[in-house]
Parts: sequence; structure tokens; C-alpha cells
Amino acid sequence: MVTRFPPRSSRPRGRVRILLASGAAALALAAGSVVPGNPVGPAPQEARAADGGKSTLTVAVAQSVDSLSPFLAQRLLSTSIHRLMYDFLTNYDAKDSHTVPGLATAWEPSPDKLTWTYTIRSDSTWSDGEKATAEDAAWTFNRMMTDEGAATSNGSFVGNFKKVTAPSPDKLVIELKQPQATMTALDVPIVPKHVWEKVGDFSKFNNDTKFPIVGNGPFILTDYKVDSYVKLEANKDFWRGAPKFDELVFRYYKDQDAAVAALRKGEVSFVAGSPSLTPAQAASLKSADDIKVNDAPGRRFYALAVNPGARTRDGKKFGDGHPALLDQKVRQALFTAVDRTAVIDKVFQGHAVEGEGYIPPRYGSYFWQPSPEQKLAYDPAKAAALLDEAGYRKNRAGKRTGKDGRPLDFRILCHATDPNDKAIGKYLQEWWGDLGIGLEVDCRDNVSDPWYAGEYDLAFDGWSVNPDPDFVMSIHTCAALPAKAKESAATDNFICDKQYDELYARQLAEYDPAKRADLVKRMESRLYDTGYMNVMAYPNAVEAYRTDQIASITTMPSDAGNIFGQDGYWSWWSAVPAAGASGGPSGGGSSTGVLVGVGIAVVVLAGGGLLFAMRRRSTAEDRE
Amino acid sequence: MTTTTTDTARTPGPRALARARRRRAAARFWRQYRDHRAGVAGLAVLVLIALVALAAPLLVGAGSQSVTDAPGGPLEPPSGAFPLGTDQFGRSLLALLVWGTRVSLTVGLLAAFLSVAIGTLVGITAGHFKGWYGNVVMRVTDWFLVMPTLVLAIALATVLSRSLWTTVLAIGVTTWPTTARLVRAQTLSVESRPYIERSRALGGGHGHIMSRHVLPNVMPLVLAQTTLVISTAILTEATLAFLGLGDPTIVSWGGLLQDAREAGAVSSGNWWYLAPPGLAIAVVALAFTLCGRTVESVLNPRLGVNR
Amino acid sequence: MSPDSTPALLTGAAGVDAARADGPAPAGPSARGPRARSTTAYLRYAAGKLAGAAVSLFAVLVTSFFLFRLIPGDPVKQMTGGRQVSTEQIAAMRREFGLDLPLWQQFTEYCGKALTGDFGTSYQFHAPVMDKITEALPATLLLTGTAFVIYTAIGIWLGARSAWRNGSAADRFHTAFALTLYSVPSFWLGLLLIITLSVGIGPIPGLFPTGGMESGSGSGFDHVVDVAHHLVLPVVTLVAVEYARTLLVMRSSLLDEMGSDYLTTARAKGLRDDLVRRRHAVPNAMLPTVTLLFVNLGNTVAGAILVETVFSWPGLGGLFYQALSVPDLPLVQALFFVFAAAVILMNTLADVIYPLLDPRVGR
Repeated sequence: MVTRFPPRSSRPRGRVRILLASGAAALALAAGSVVPGNPVGPAPQEARAADGGKSTLTVAVAQSVDSLSPFLAQRLLSTSIHRLMYDFLTNYDAKDSHTVPGLATAWEPSPDKLTWTYTIRSDSTWSDGEKATAEDAAWTFNRMMTDEGAATSNGSFVGNFKKVTAPSPDKLVIELKQPQATMTALDVPIVPKHVWEKVGDFSKFNNDTKFPIVGNGPFILTDYKVDSYVKLEANKDFWRGAPKFDELVFRYYKDQDAAVAALRKGEVSFVAGSPSLTPAQAASLKSADDIKVNDAPGRRFYALAVNPGARTRDGKKFGDGHPALLDQKVRQALFTAVDRTAVIDKVFQGHAVEGEGYIPPRYGSYFWQPSPEQKLAYDPAKAAALLDEAGYRKNRAGKRTGKDGRPLDFRILCHATDPNDKAIGKYLQEWWGDLGIGLEVDCRDNVSDPWYAGEYDLAFDGWSVNPDPDFVMSIHTCAALPAKAKESAATDNFICDKQYDELYARQLAEYDPAKRADLVKRMESRLYDTGYMNVMAYPNAVEAYRTDQIASITTMPSDAGNIFGQDGYWSWWSAVPAAGASGGPSGGGSSTGVLVGVGIAVVVLAGGGLLFAMRRRSTAEDRE
Repeated sequence: MTTTTTDTARTPGPRALARARRRRAAARFWRQYRDHRAGVAGLAVLVLIALVALAAPLLVGAGSQSVTDAPGGPLEPPSGAFPLGTDQFGRSLLALLVWGTRVSLTVGLLAAFLSVAIGTLVGITAGHFKGWYGNVVMRVTDWFLVMPTLVLAIALATVLSRSLWTTVLAIGVTTWPTTARLVRAQTLSVESRPYIERSRALGGGHGHIMSRHVLPNVMPLVLAQTTLVISTAILTEATLAFLGLGDPTIVSWGGLLQDAREAGAVSSGNWWYLAPPGLAIAVVALAFTLCGRTVESVLNPRLGVNR
Repeated sequence: MSPDSTPALLTGAAGVDAARADGPAPAGPSARGPRARSTTAYLRYAAGKLAGAAVSLFAVLVTSFFLFRLIPGDPVKQMTGGRQVSTEQIAAMRREFGLDLPLWQQFTEYCGKALTGDFGTSYQFHAPVMDKITEALPATLLLTGTAFVIYTAIGIWLGARSAWRNGSAADRFHTAFALTLYSVPSFWLGLLLIITLSVGIGPIPGLFPTGGMESGSGSGFDHVVDVAHHLVLPVVTLVAVEYARTLLVMRSSLLDEMGSDYLTTARAKGLRDDLVRRRHAVPNAMLPTVTLLFVNLGNTVAGAILVETVFSWPGLGGLFYQALSVPDLPLVQALFFVFAAAVILMNTLADVIYPLLDPRVGR
């Protein structure tokens, strides 16, 4: 299926600020939020010597953990950690994201497409010694289906489930209400029933009271300090093989600069960025010794969304989108006046790919490009002509007005936390200003309110796309529209198009991958033509790591891909410690730390002693 | 405090008399002010910066804020063409710093004015109407006085939409209690003077006494207070902008620092992006503080500040 | 500098004088102060101050409830975060958080629970708000406490010296230096310190960690050293921007004392200048400073928001900022209350303690 955790990994940028610090950029976040490295250890060798060779990979993250309970966690960091702690039914191949076995070794739909049978592996054990079975999986799904508190983070996966059973320890059977092509993309952590059935209130239990936490993934979580770090140890019994690093630490840095500085000093082995390292940071790290900058195609798209007239599922209109934007020519004029090359060169400074279709080129089978006739290429003269044609002519003051005299003054919703939004907003103001169109860049911390209320003209939009595109496609269907005005809903931008919906329904029931991909591309084409979404760029994942601590690490896709926030545990599971460097803070405080600490103590003592001596002397004099 | 009794001259009419008296007081004030080197230095810096702010369009041109016509490459270090380097869009940082002067000074002045206006109003009325009104108002003031100013300002800036006015408002309504307190104390002391009694006996109403007698007498104090509040206001503006609570479409010093941080200037070692806005804030805040302290010590030499 | 500073304090004696003349801020022999030295009078005075503090605390509670209701954003929307939830689910959540009740009922419930220390459940962390606060509190106390002790010591020491050698080059230098640091934005100073002492520039090696409070390694003494190491830069930043206030107040109150007759007497007795200062002048000048210290301590807790942000310190300030952006209403309200309560309690403490310290009060 498309998105890992629909709610969290493919999330409209900034709409849910909490989830992804800056919105869509799951990737970026991923990159940004986790930096491996040694927390304190300046010189990895020393750390290792102190500790008998235990190797530690420290990742600097820009997010804090919201909850360690897989039923509640929403943030990318937390869900990434859950991938390491618990096995999922299926996993995605590091090379091209096709589905590969996880806890399930095989799966098969029934001929009527409504029953899926999974074979559960027999060589997976929980860290407390119990065997992981189909019963655990069935219990996890059933819990989510019956307990609202347990459906908080992954409830959408089970929405279409009718019944889940485990007829034998190695057999899991899921019955569906409707056919669903995403059954090999159920990104739900399977938890041990014997531990979790003792939990009372799932909506309040954060899974952070007893360490180590029982799991069966490649790593076992051993320690957690709020807003400071999460520590995991390699699971030597993991069925796919033990990870190469003995210990994995996620350290929280509130400030991305601090994280980058920590990487330079070797305090951490990996830094990603939130959502990405900035061009300046990438440039300066490139010239640093022993640091590799991984500038890889991202999984995000970054788009302009136009309010098509917000409405409810039954057609009731609300919001206050500018009526001129309902004219396709006006929208095309706006998009035609956007110089995408400048966006890539100036704002992303080369760390992005020019936008075309809806799904980023990284997912080759679903990537679609507009044909030359369809394409809205940069052409300010044509944009002016289009506006003239549509009846919006420049008045004496150089402003374009409609027949009713209303000027073309638009608002664009921008995420106050996203520098790219603010930067591109400045460019748009000038490009569109030349056309005679006014633009107010409305930056907010919380864009979801005006957004859900339909009170915007344009908006910066973006999602992180999962290997299965279902989720990012589903958010443009009529079914996703809100039931009541201004209510939160799955819809991204209030788009509702019959033709698109038909294609959507067909792809969801299509179990043949090639045919399904073709349908998805036709949907992208339709979306492009309706012209309410225009992708400007696919931002890269920009992250960096120390080559003197990490000898090698798997990216996803393996040719050129990201490291943090993968759809799988490949990066941390595969990372190999550099020879002679374990990058571990492990045993004791770093030697620098000790040195400095001792230094401070000496200075303080000396100062105190001096003061005391002086006092003594003066009092002595005084007595004379 | 300030104006002392007049030397009874040939009577050229009470208005002219008052005017002459004020002129003399101002001249004396200036003579004493001149003796404080720090105060003069602060004033000189302020005059210079005010000139820069006023002349910004002439100095750097209105086009220097445009991103599409930016002359340089991203984050260039200082050079002949760009004495302070460029920002991530290739705009000259010197030009942006000059533009930022306007916003920072405007916000500082407006916020301080708002704060001192509220404080003066509250202080004078609370000092004048001593009954339950004064008590209640001073209770409220005391209560505001103990509110953590920064926390309250952040909260207000979050609650309201992002704009320059929000910043002004957030600073203004959180910093007035100190002024109110000082002004009230001064009002009480002025109102205990005999001539107020006389004025009241002659039928002077509340409004008359407050505006004609009390206000002129608290003005010097208010002036000193304003100067000091401006310095606080400029710092608070920078703080709010730095926390991302300012209007991101406006170039201010705090906003420049926030931009620099967002661009990753700290860890990339782009000190030229980070240092000037912070220095500018510190210089202006210091200049206002110096002026304020000088004004205060001139008006009340007993304080021994800065002697 | 901390923007929350009270300008009047900066002006030295003016502020203190005015406040002393009439008011609870730094308390003093106010009109409502004890008139007789009797214990009962003192107790009555202290009780009055405590009652006043209780009223203030309640007012803060009211403000925290209503002010943050103004933040745009339906909490339930924020909690569901754009996920597909049914209308029933939303209704259930509203019920759970008591958002379906009329406002006044929500308010009385809020107050009632707050009295028992229950500020509700955090929207983003799914944990009791008080738990989150108690988790973050030690970090803030460590940071502000350490900084407080250091800047108080430095401020009083330098302030006393400056006043004693009033007008000397040293005095002018210390005053100017303190005022300059006082004018510097604390977050900017923090960033510069990170660049120079943490990242390292040119020949300067990166001596200190870039952020956080601990590296999650070691135990016992190693752990203490580790935390101390992380503590250095944030404390230096806080001290640099905060010590000016103490210095200036100490300086001007000592200047006030210096003309006093008893000092001349002391000198006439043949006491060394140093001793006159230390035994006689400074202790008396300390009184107004002591009250300021309490006020400072309360303010520093809230003022540390910026420093905590810049240095990724896992304290209350960082938590507050994080909560505001959600907005995580229960957490924001509780933190606002905690910050204000810290200041109020410290002020009250100053008021209550002042008469005990100053024998002249209560004549």
C-alpha cells in the first residue's frame, strides 16, 4: 500500500505539524531527525578501548519521541524506532521497494480477493524467549479493530477488515469487506500478546515503564530518557541476522545546527536534518574530513495547491477561496509563471529535482510525466496572454482585475516553520507581481485550521510518498471530503473528480502490479489536467554521516536513496562499524568530558583556595 | 522633580513665562547631560542609526530586498561588492541590515510608546484617584508585574496572527507595569505639593489637575523610562522573531538571525551572516540604555548612577 | 539580555527606591508593613502577603485557562492530526477531554483539578501533564540554579567593588562591560558560544558539547562529569546576560550607604578600608539586593526558555515552546501557571523574609 502509516508518513506538509515537524517532509525529517554518532565520544577509538570493543552508532534526531507505544506513536522518529523493535508482516526490498517477507514468509489472496492468508515464520522469538506466532498478529489487529484507544496511530489499516483469525501458530487469516490491493503493505508493528494483554488503557499506556522492552525486531530497546535519548541493543537472535553495530542510540537535538556540529566533532555518527540539511550545511560538510554527505532523491513532492472551492461530501460549499481560481486559465497562468528551475537552483540550491507528475521518480513504476502538449512550462508571456484571454486585464495601476472589478489578490498558506515555503513565497510574490497579481504570504504555525475551513486561495502542499501510492492517491477522492463543513477529513485539497474516482476504485481492486501501475499513472495525468495541484519539486534527502565510524550503510533504494526514515530497517541493520572505530560513548563519559570536567574543578578549587587565602591574610592583618 | 520655582520676572503673561521656564530647564538639562560621556556616546549612536533608517531607500535602494533580482550567489562571504556577504538568496546582507534598522526601530519605538502610554495612564490615574479605583488598579498592576514577561509575550504572539502589530502589542501590554508603578509614586509625591491643593481649591477638576499639573511633572521620568523600555522592546522583538513568532515576510534584525539559523549558518561557520544583526541589536539596545541612565541621573543626581 | 528584565531594575536605585517606596515587588518597609516589632504584627503581615499571593495565583490560573483558549485550533483536530477518524471517534475524544461541556463548566473542572495538582493529559504525549513537568523540572532547576548562584556571586562581588571605588577605571569598566552584555540577545550569545567553543573555529578546538544535558553514557561520577560538561555553555550564557542586574543594584545600594555616618564612625575607629566595606557597608547594602535575588530567581526560570532552546536543554522552557506550537493546551496552561507561580512565590518569599533581615523594618 502506499503510505507506511498513512497518518504519519504521508502527511500533508505542516498541516499536522506535530507529526512531521515541518509537514510533508517525512523524508527530510527522517534525514533530519536522526543522526547516528557517538553522543559524547570524541575519539571513537578511546571509547572502544574503554569498553572492550562495544560498537555504538549514534544518530542525531531533531524530533523527540511522542510515545513508545506502537498504538499511539505518530511521529516519524517513533515509528522508525518501532520498525527496529517489532517485526512487521511484510517488508520492502531495499533495492526497489518490492514486498519481501517479514514476520510472514508468504501470503496469498483468495480467488474472490476478499480473504488473505499469511504464513508466519517459525524462527522469530520475542526477546523474553517466547515464540512469535500468528496469534500475536491476530491479537494485534483485533485489538486495533475493537479498541478505539489502540487505533490511534494505525487504525486506518484495519478499517476494511472484517475478521482476523489465527487458525494455527503459523497461519494468519484476514477477511476483508472490499478487495484491497494494499494487503502486502500493512505497516503495523506486531506486538507480543502475552505482554500487551495486561495493558489496561491503551490510550494512556506509553510502553516506557519497563526496560528492556520485549520485541522481535533487529534491535531491542533498552533505555529511554525523555527528550534526551533512546538506546537500543542489537538483537543477536534476529532471524535475518544480527546487526553489525552492538548498540544504536538516537540522541535528540532540538537545534539542527547543534546536530551538525555534533557530527563534525564526532559526537554522533549520523545526522539527517529536519526535514533536510540546508544547502549551506551540506556544502560545508562536503569539505569536512571523514564525512560523507548523502544527497539522494527524496520521496517527497513539494506542490502548489489551489482551493477548488471547499465543499462537503454531499456538496455543501464552504470556505472563501478566490472565485477567479475556479477558472482553469487563471490557474494555468499561475503555474506557467512559476520558474521551476529557479526554485531548484536558488531555493533548494540543487538539492531537489524539478517537479512533474505527482509521484516522485524514485518510485519508477508509478512515476509519470506530462506529455509535451499537457505540460505547463515556464513562460511568463504565455501566462499574461492566458490571463488576458480569461478576461483579467491590467488596469492603470498595473493590477489585473476581473469583470466585476475584483482584483486578482491571492493568499497563500505557508508553514511558518518551513524555510522553503517562506523562500518560495518571496519568489512567487515577485513573479506573480510582474503579472499584475497580488499575493499575501500567510505564514502560520498551525495551517490546518484555515485549511480544513477552506479559507485559503493557494497553499504550499507536500507529502512523503510510500512505496505503495494508495494513500497519497486516496486523499484526492470525493470520499475523502469532510462530512460536515470545516471538519477535519482525509482530503488534501478538496479535490473531487468523478473520472479520477473511477480510476481510483479500479486500481484498489487490481491485484496485478503492472496493470495497477498503469491505472495510477492515468490518475496522475488526470490530476495534472484538472490543475488544482502543481508539483514544483521533489526535494532530495540530504543527510550526512562519519565515514570513520560507519564503514558502510544501505540506502533505500540501494543505488541512490535515503538512510533515515526508510521503509524498513535496512540502514541501521546493515550499517558496518568502521575499522578501529566503534563510535561508542558506551562505558564512561568521554575522555574529553572528563578532562574538561577535571579542568573546571581545578579552576574552581584554585579560585576558591586563592580567595580563602586572601581572606585569611587580610583578616590576619586586620587583627594586628 | 525637575522644574523648580520661577524667578519672578516682569510679567510677560503666564504662557510665555511657562515657555521660557521650560526652555531654560531644557537648556540646563542638556548642559548636565553633556557631562555624561556615556550618554552622549549613546545619543550619537542613536542619531546615526536613526539617520541610516530614514535614508535606507537612498542608501541601498528599494530593489535590494527582491529575491528574483538578487545580485550575488547564495551565502557569499564578505567581499568588495558585498561588504557583509550575501544571504541564501544572494541579496546583500548589508542592505538587509540597513532595511532591518527601520523595522527594529519602529517596533521598538511603537512598543515602548504603547507600554509607557499605558503605564503613565494607569500610574497617574491610580495615584490621583486613591480610593478603591487606585487600589484595584494597583493590584492588577502588581499582578502583571509578577507575570513572566517573556512567557506572556510569547503566548500573546502565538494567540494573535503574525504581524508587526502583534509584536508591538505583545511587547506593549506586557511591559507597562513598571512604568505604572514609577509614575504612580511620582504622582503621589506631586499631588502632595501645596500648589495642587491651591489648584483644587480654585476649582480645578480631576482632568485639569492630572493633565496640567501632574503630567508635566512626571514627563521627565516618563522620558527616561521610555528610553529604557525601548531597549527592552528591541530585544524582545528580536527574541520573538528568533523564535519564529514575527512576521516572516518583513526584514528585521531578529528575523535575519532566524533566517541565518534556518539556513544553517551556525554549523556552516557563516559567521558573517550571524554576527552583524546580533551586534546591531546589542549596539542599539546599549545606546538606549546609556541614554536612559543618563537622563535618569541628570534628573535625579542622588541616584549616583553612572557618576 | 533577557527581554523579560524589568527596566526599572536596570536603572539601579531608581527602580528599587520606587518599588521600596510603595510596593510588594521587592518588598520593603511598605505602608502595610509591620508597625510594631511584635511577632503578632509580623505574622499578620506575612499572612497578608501570603493571601495576596494566593489571589495572584488564582488570577494566573484564570488567565492560563482563558488566554490559551484563544489560540486558533480545535484541540481534537490537533490530536487526530489529519488522520481519518469517524465522527463518533471525535465525539468520544471531546467527551474524554471534557471539551463537550460548556466553557464555565470546563473552567470549574479545570480549577478543581488544578488544586489537586492535576492539569490533565497532554495531547501530544498521552501522559499526565504533571508527569511531563516533573520530568523536565530537574533539568531547569539545575541550569537556572547553577547560573543563579554564579551570577549572584559575581554580581554582588563586582557591584560592591565598583561602588567602593566609584568613578575609578575599574568601576567604569565593570559597569560598561555589564551593561554591554546585558544588551546582548542571550540566544545570539549562545549561538556564538556554540560556534566558537563547541564547533570550534580555526585553532580553537570544540571543547564543549553542542547541546543536550547528557550523552547517555556512564554512571556515578562519570555521569556527573558528563552533565557538568554539558552545563558549562548554557550556564555561561545565562550568567553573562543576567549578572548585570545584580551588579547594578548592588552598586547603587552600596553607593547609597556610603555617605552614612556609621561608616565614618567605623573608619574613625581605625578599621581598615577593606574591613569597613566588608563588615559594615556591604551587609547593609545587601538588603535591597537580597530581595532582588528572589525576583531574579523566579524570572530566570522563565527567561531560560531561549537558552534552553539554543542548547537543546531538556527543561521546562523547551517543553513550553514545544507545547505552544501544537498547541498542546493542557501542557501550555500548566507550564504558564508554573512559570508565573515561580515568580509569585519568590516575590512573596522576598516580602516575607525582608522584615526578618532588616532590623529597621518594624520599628
